[in-house]
Amino acid sequence: MEEIEKTFSKEQAIVEAKRCLYCYDAPCQAACPANVPIPEFIQSIRTDNLKGAQEIIREANPLIEICGRVCPEESFCQSACTRAKVDTPIRIRELHRYITDNTNPSENLELKPATKEKVAIIGGGPAGLACAVELRRQGYKPVIFEKKQLGGIPVNEISKIRLPENISQKEVKFIHHNFIYQTKDIKITSLKELNEDFKAVFIATGLPDELNLNIPNTTLKGVYQAREILKKAKVGIKPQIFKRAGVIGGGNVALEVASVLKREYPNSDVEVIYRRSEKELKAFKKEIEEAIDSGVTFQFLAIPKEIKGKERVEGVVVTRAHLGEKDASGRRHPEPIPHSDFFIPLDLIVIAIGQKASNFFPEIEKDERGLIKVNDDMSTNVKGVFAGGDIVKGPSTIVESVAQGKKAAESIVKYMEGEKNV
Amino acid sequence: MYKEKDLSIDFLGIHLDSPFILSASPSTDELEIAYNGLKAGWAGVILKTTSIEGNPVPLKYPMMSSFATDHRITGLGNIDLISQYHINEIVKRVKALKEAFPDKMIAASIMGSKKEDWQTLVWRLKKAGVDLIECSFSCPQGSMGEAPGRMLAQSIEATEKVTGWVKEAAGDTPVLIKITPQVTDIVEVAKAVKSGGADGITASNTIPSLLGVDIKTFEPYPTLFGKGTYSGLSGPAIKPITLRTIAEIAKNVDITISGNGGAFNWRDAVEFMSVGASNVQFCTLPMHYGFRTIRDLKSGLAHYLMDMGFHSPMDIVGKALPNIKTQEELPSPETKAEINEDKCIGCGLCYAACNDGGHQAIDWDSEKRLPNVNEDKCVGCAMCMQVCPVNAIRMKEKLNSDMHYFAKKE
Ligand SMILES: Cc1cc2nc3c(=O)[nH]c(=O)nc-3n(C[C@H](O)[C@H](O)[C@H](O)COP(=O)(O)O)c2cc1C
Repeated sequence: MEEIEKTFSKEQAIVEAKRCLYCYDAPCQAACPANVPIPEFIQSIRTDNLKGAQEIIREANPLIEICGRVCPEESFCQSACTRAKVDTPIRIRELHRYITDNTNPSENLELKPATKEKVAIIGGGPAGLACAVELRRQGYKPVIFEKKQLGGIPVNEISKIRLPENISQKEVKFIHHNFIYQTKDIKITSLKELNEDFKAVFIATGLPDELNLNIPNTTLKGVYQAREILKKAKVGIKPQIFKRAGVIGGGNVALEVASVLKREYPNSDVEVIYRRSEKELKAFKKEIEEAIDSGVTFQFLAIPKEIKGKERVEGVVVTRAHLGEKDASGRRHPEPIPHSDFFIPLDLIVIAIGQKASNFFPEIEKDERGLIKVNDDMSTNVKGVFAGGDIVKGPSTIVESVAQGKKAAESIVKYMEGEKNV
Repeated sequence: MYKEKDLSIDFLGIHLDSPFILSASPSTDELEIAYNGLKAGWAGVILKTTSIEGNPVPLKYPMMSSFATDHRITGLGNIDLISQYHINEIVKRVKALKEAFPDKMIAASIMGSKKEDWQTLVWRLKKAGVDLIECSFSCPQGSMGEAPGRMLAQSIEATEKVTGWVKEAAGDTPVLIKITPQVTDIVEVAKAVKSGGADGITASNTIPSLLGVDIKTFEPYPTLFGKGTYSGLSGPAIKPITLRTIAEIAKNVDITISGNGGAFNWRDAVEFMSVGASNVQFCTLPMHYGFRTIRDLKSGLAHYLMDMGFHSPMDIVGKALPNIKTQEELPSPETKAEINEDKCIGCGLCYAACNDGGHQAIDWDSEKRLPNVNEDKCVGCAMCMQVCPVNAIRMKEKLNSDMHYFAKKE
């Protein structure tokens, strides 16, 4: 499967960069969680100083290859662009991508020697990597504990049509090679399992477990968890062939898995089954557009009630819903309509209703959802232990995880320096 | 995290950490603004032109006007005069800035009307510890003591004489004379600057201009209750004129040149240096977008030098000069236009230009919306190449069975 989006040509990039007003105190930059100096890198595109532009972005965001592909710009930078008040917003993410597509991050790189202490980072996803890069830049030695492939969700799950493997690999290799002191192929689920003494620890495990539907027969053959399919697709294992697949859920993962299935088997049907309506879909514009473009259909206002099948799945019984009052999520709650059950025949069902926190790190204080509680500086209730990424904020975006990783690194540096002075 | 290339140069014995200087302008006319500019990373400041106490400076507002291309300022006009701050204030600023930034160039610009004034200004600045003195011989509103709009640098004799006065007082403090391109023979002026004893020349200042007229009220721009006057024009619009000014001086007179007038990014600066400038002064760029523009100037120059394998910015100076010839000295290629059909978007602009302003050497296929070069008629003027919006046209010449191309640079 090939990447869908094409990179800007030089002409396109320069024309687009020239539209940028070069705002002072730029709202796009303020809207970027990683605080990338957007007007500055666009100015550098305008003068065809791509290497300089690359340096500016990478100093602010260590995952620029990945974010240049999958950042939901409509939620961040682009939503704030002043140019939208004149005509249309600058296509910031695509300009960003134009830079990474045409530069080499290793060129001209210069790091001071890592002379300071080791810091343990548990989890090698975006938050962990961002924290590692920042710490290494300050002369510390980041040690990453990661059982799976380094890179987290972008490397292991996001589909190749949005993020080609060579791109995410290139980025992770660059970070691994230059910024990480050591990686340990160990799964850590409690601070006690750290076999060495680390003065500071950053927990960024993400949310490895998926929520399951609380209805009968979810263990039938032919019923899968969404991330399982995405992870396999990422390493080239095709999902089993089907005639009609149903994806239960309405978030980014549900839509991504639906697109992947449809693109893999264009002659089969793929339907997203969602209990609310189109308006409540909790997904980025791009994910929704991609699903629709690939031919995915939608069954809205349908609450799954029971999966049916003998040896393997044959379909799902759903109850029609209408939207009631807003619930805790701020969206209108689906209310079942009595006697409205109907059957959707399916030979593959994918459950994509969300992730949950694992029951790790008993010594760390968590909230009712199992997410780690942190202070403004990302510190937890245990001295010297910091946390960030999805395990703190719940499922969110890569750029927000990067931002938290950076912030944690800053706090860790402060903490380590403070310790030294005592 | 990325290596910083050393961009420093020696300029008339002064250390500059990059070749980028803030010229005498509003960006150097308040202590705090000049301070901010240096702090942002500019290599030096030339404080806005000052004069002897009591010299009246009757400013008129609004003083700015402009014209734009694609809603971006191309040319900036001003009817400003020299600074309203006199030398007593400027010497304080020189001291304060020198103290805050001992490694930056703190220079000042002066203007006088008689020998004592020029020399007093110099002595007082020297005493304050100024690094360099620039003399404005080129304010487009006219030099002090001259008729309105008449500039000192428009007179060869006056240029040489006043330069002599200033250098006599300055001693070993370097002196730059800032000239105007608005003269019959720029080389003669530069020679006068040199024979007057100056260390260098600032080429050049704004250019006298009229920014526009309101076609309903017939009021010129900028309009002050219906009346207006000629402005000094700066910004990208004057860059080609400055390039020529620098090149002509560099080719004919052995004198250090500080380039100024129309540089808007690092590429422009490289061009200024390639035709003979040792460094580049900026005014419209920081006035428009702020001091933050220094970042791309430095980073762009640094990467350019590394990519080109140059050691120092000084390696660029004069590189293009041997290639600048008189028209008759040029070779005579026999070129033909070549249109890249894959890139062509079918706008027909090349056809319009060639048909009504060239040699009618392009045929137009209105069905396919495709231009076709008729090589028998094409003389190779390259007008079509200028108007193509997507750079799909280049000129080619077959020489000894090798194809040579003359392409438009972006
Ligand atoms: C508002 C304004 C005021 C200026 N005042 C002075 C001045 O006092 N003395 C001087 O030598 N040049 C003065 N200049 C000219 C600039 O220093 C500079 O030579 C000119 O703007 C061309 O450079 P640029 O194209 O980078 O702006 C002034 C320019 C402007 C726009």
